[in-house]
Amino acid sequence: MLGLAAEEQNVLRIHIDELVFGLIAFAVIFGLVYKYAAPRITKMLDERADSIEGGIERAKKAEAEAEEIRQQYRDKLEEAHREYAQELEKAKEQRAAIIAEAREEAQVEARRLVEAAHAQIEADRQQAMAQLRNEIGVLSTELATRIVGETLSDSAAQNRVIDRFLDELEHSGNNQQAGVR
Amino acid sequence: MSADTLNLAAEGGGGLFTPGGPGFEAPSVGIFFPSAWSWGNYGETSPYLGGITKYAVLLVVATALVLLFLWWTSRRLSMVPDRRQSLGEIFYLFIREQISRPMMGAKGDKYLPLLLSLFLFVFAMNIMGIIPFLQLPVTSNLSYPVGLALIVYIIFIAVGIKSQGGVAAYFKSAVVPSGAPGWILPLLVPIEIISNFLIRPATHAIRVFATMFAGHLLLATFAAAGWYMFNPSAGPLFGSISVLFSGASLVGFIVFTAFEMVIMFLQAFVFTLLAALYIGQAQEAH
Repeated sequence: MLGLAAEEQNVLRIHIDELVFGLIAFAVIFGLVYKYAAPRITKMLDERADSIEGGIERAKKAEAEAEEIRQQYRDKLEEAHREYAQELEKAKEQRAAIIAEAREEAQVEARRLVEAAHAQIEADRQQAMAQLRNEIGVLSTELATRIVGETLSDSAAQNRVIDRFLDELEHSGNNQQAGVR
Repeated sequence: MSADTLNLAAEGGGGLFTPGGPGFEAPSVGIFFPSAWSWGNYGETSPYLGGITKYAVLLVVATALVLLFLWWTSRRLSMVPDRRQSLGEIFYLFIREQISRPMMGAKGDKYLPLLLSLFLFVFAMNIMGIIPFLQLPVTSNLSYPVGLALIVYIIFIAVGIKSQGGVAAYFKSAVVPSGAPGWILPLLVPIEIISNFLIRPATHAIRVFATMFAGHLLLATFAAAGWYMFNPSAGPLFGSISVLFSGASLVGFIVFTAFEMVIMFLQAFVFTLLAALYIGQAQEAH
């Protein structure tokens, strides 16, 4: 049996029936791959690639948006800082202005008071001077009457005498004042 | 394995150190000729018919395995794959990224189902050789690789005729190397014809057949040698020596089985790669 078989046993045999079995088996496998497995897997891989690409796109967009918002926020913050500094500066200026104004007003007021006081003093002095002049005239007349012992009836002469007396008096007084100043 | 070889193996067991025992019979090519389960004399009537043998049964097993795998890995697909789906995608992407795209570019994507089927089918037929109790690679019977090589042969010629625009244009581009001086053509053209249309399909089929054949024979030899040398009843000294030898043979069997697994994958890959290469070449102008 073995010897007989060995003669028939050609390692490089090609059996038609086995070849056909193989072709049928391959056809069945190819049919399943072609109609079912490959299209499904291809479709799913494409969808996945799409979704991943879409996801990357979305992430990029979101990132850009976030960056924009952050920039805006930063700008606003910077602006706020700047405004604050400006306000502070303005307030300082205002304070200085108010102080200066107050000082000015106070000075003006003081000067006004001093001037008023001066005017008052001057007026008082004038009044006192006028009154004094009158009183001195009366007193002088009275004195002169008493000294002379007679009443000067002639009012014109009386006035002349008084005036001369006063002029002399004033003159000497002015001289004395000039000497003091 | 035929009944004869099985008996032979059983008789050969423990032959070492048995006085007057059987000598070692290395496994013969008989292991590649399982006897047929025939109806009538079918399978023994003609040298061109094999009949229903272990090969045909394993072919059905391998085919069922591929179909189950395909159905299981691609029945529910989602954008976020689970392990089952990832396993299927690995094969699909492996064929696309390692074979189809490098050989044919993006325009080869339409041959992806063909290449994926070829790879899975050849791989499944190969691994029948290391599945316990089956242990016979279907591709160690030349009939099966020849069928597949024939399919690829017909397809690449058809693709060539279609993409070169006519039979004459294709055969001219296939057998007349461009840029060769005229005087050398009488020498080159016959060589190209033989190499492209005779040697190419033959080597395509024989490459996978021969490696599977040789690998299986090697594994069978290790197994038979291990069984032959296992004779612990041969006395304390010879018994332990025989067990040691037998153990060494077992280690060799395991190592070469692992090695075979790699080769089975590699040969399926090479078969598919060559199919893609032939189709790609037919597409391109020479």
